[in-house]
Amino acid sequence: MFSKVLIANRGEIALRIIQACRELRLRTVLVHSQADAESLPVQFADEAVCIGPAPARESYLKIANIISAAEITGADAIHPGYGFLAENGHFAEVCEQCGICFIGPPAVAIRRMGDKVEARRLAEAEGVPVLPGSREPVRTPGAAREEAEKIGFPVILKAAAGGGGRGMRVVTAPEALEAALATAAAEAEAAFGDPGIYVERYLTEPRHVEIQVLLDGAGGGVHLGERDCSIQRRHQKLLEEAPSPGLSQALRQSMGEAALQVARAAGYQNAGTVEFLLDGSGHFYFMEMNTRIQVEHPVTEMVTGLDLVKLQIWLAAGERLPLRQDEVRLAGHSLECRITAEDPERFLPSAGTLTLFRPPGGPGVRVDTHAYTGYTIPPFYDSLLAKIIVHGRDREEAITRMRRALDETLIHGVKTTIPVHQALLLHPSFAAGRTSTRLLERLVQER
Amino acid sequence: MDLKELKALLRLMDSHDLEELEIEAGGRRVRLRRRAATPAGVPVALPASLPTAPAAQASPDESAGLLAVTAPMVGTFYRAPSPGAEPFVKEGDLVQKGSVLCIIEAMKLMNEIEAEAKGRIARILVANGQPVEFGQTLFLLGPA
Repeated sequence: MFSKVLIANRGEIALRIIQACRELRLRTVLVHSQADAESLPVQFADEAVCIGPAPARESYLKIANIISAAEITGADAIHPGYGFLAENGHFAEVCEQCGICFIGPPAVAIRRMGDKVEARRLAEAEGVPVLPGSREPVRTPGAAREEAEKIGFPVILKAAAGGGGRGMRVVTAPEALEAALATAAAEAEAAFGDPGIYVERYLTEPRHVEIQVLLDGAGGGVHLGERDCSIQRRHQKLLEEAPSPGLSQALRQSMGEAALQVARAAGYQNAGTVEFLLDGSGHFYFMEMNTRIQVEHPVTEMVTGLDLVKLQIWLAAGERLPLRQDEVRLAGHSLECRITAEDPERFLPSAGTLTLFRPPGGPGVRVDTHAYTGYTIPPFYDSLLAKIIVHGRDREEAITRMRRALDETLIHGVKTTIPVHQALLLHPSFAAGRTSTRLLERLVQER
Repeated sequence: MDLKELKALLRLMDSHDLEELEIEAGGRRVRLRRRAATPAGVPVALPASLPTAPAAQASPDESAGLLAVTAPMVGTFYRAPSPGAEPFVKEGDLVQKGSVLCIIEAMKLMNEIEAEAKGRIARILVANGQPVEFGQTLFLLGPA
């Protein structure tokens, strides 16, 4: 086991990793920017090293300073958290070369799954369903028509060279294809300098369902069930739950096995998440694999009773998985709300100092946060303030509990997205379990 | 007196192994006295309200005409180009802009740290072989 773990991250996840290290009786070093010098994680870590000024590029992304900090403190392992360098294959390699254990998958697996095209190819080779799509970008109406006919309507046209919703067009009928291709290509050219367009099957009301996997270095691997992360705004998740209201036990098993298959084929180790889209008829399609611990990992922890961050450290230290697939038990239902410091009407960041921060408590409530009364939110990083997580014996109790928890959460000094979550939890579609990636959009339009 | 300045003074005490330090500059005075080491595991008591962004005020060093030379990277501080060699600078030395003041070793690379301005070395705040973090004050430079 390691003697000292360096945490190369900030905010709530830095605290989360410190918690796991504390319980494993490992010493902690936190590297931080000047803007975070007085933050809670810095206070709680055994040691702290300032690695640069506020901008992430010069601090949290500065590999040389992070490795140097590990060297001067004698840290023998680095936990990268999520974001920043967590999925940077080069960083994982540098750690390996410097004799510091990177708590996560091998660099080669990070690179393999980081390449989205390569990841899809790998999944297909394993017989895992992949969303039907063109293998190469199309550049003529004829090629587009051919692809679309093979794939089956409705299709979505997407810019090959970029994302963010630009160069995207949904085409429901073949007659509309040529015109849609022309505008999508023009947009793509303007935004990314490349008019190439991918054609992909379009799912009208898909669920985003992801499977948590854990693999050790001795061939052991388990899946820990799913998380439904369909509630998104502009591809940013707001609310997650486990289990998914859209999954039967049979589907859960198929998806779990598919996820493990993909992970094994990638040479994966440690904790990872395989993302799928689920259509209304119980068909699932591989989207991508996230080679890190995720923001929403707590909901899996609540239903399995496992500590995923401790398991990451455990596995990285060369230990074997402490449980078999038949020992994985899912109990009850968990929800997580990501509370961000944003204006709930227009989702613009709301900066400032928290004049009051009083998190909820009581039975079945967990809060992961680095915030406290008096904390000033630095403007340089993401606006995630707190994750409010609940567990209940079933979905109904979990929803009631979350509504209660949100009602007793007091955050003054900045605007937060709590009102959006409260509206969502009251929405009849959400209550009925009819979640999809379009639900939040519709709710926002209705208001 | 903000937290950053206090920390710099505490490091000064540490590096020179002082029991007590009293500084008076620019009309302000501070005295720091060391007691027996606290046992490991004593939790850090959070102040009632943690400071927000440090106010832009002149530190006592600057108001006394001293310029802080800070570490631009993380690593190990060395006063000389190699073990046993003469240090680059001593207290009292006059340096030019671009003079090498020290080395910070990071990831097996020796990085020479240069003076940004002409001046006289008033204080060396870090000991040879000591680890330093980004922004840590290494030297105080006085007028030439």
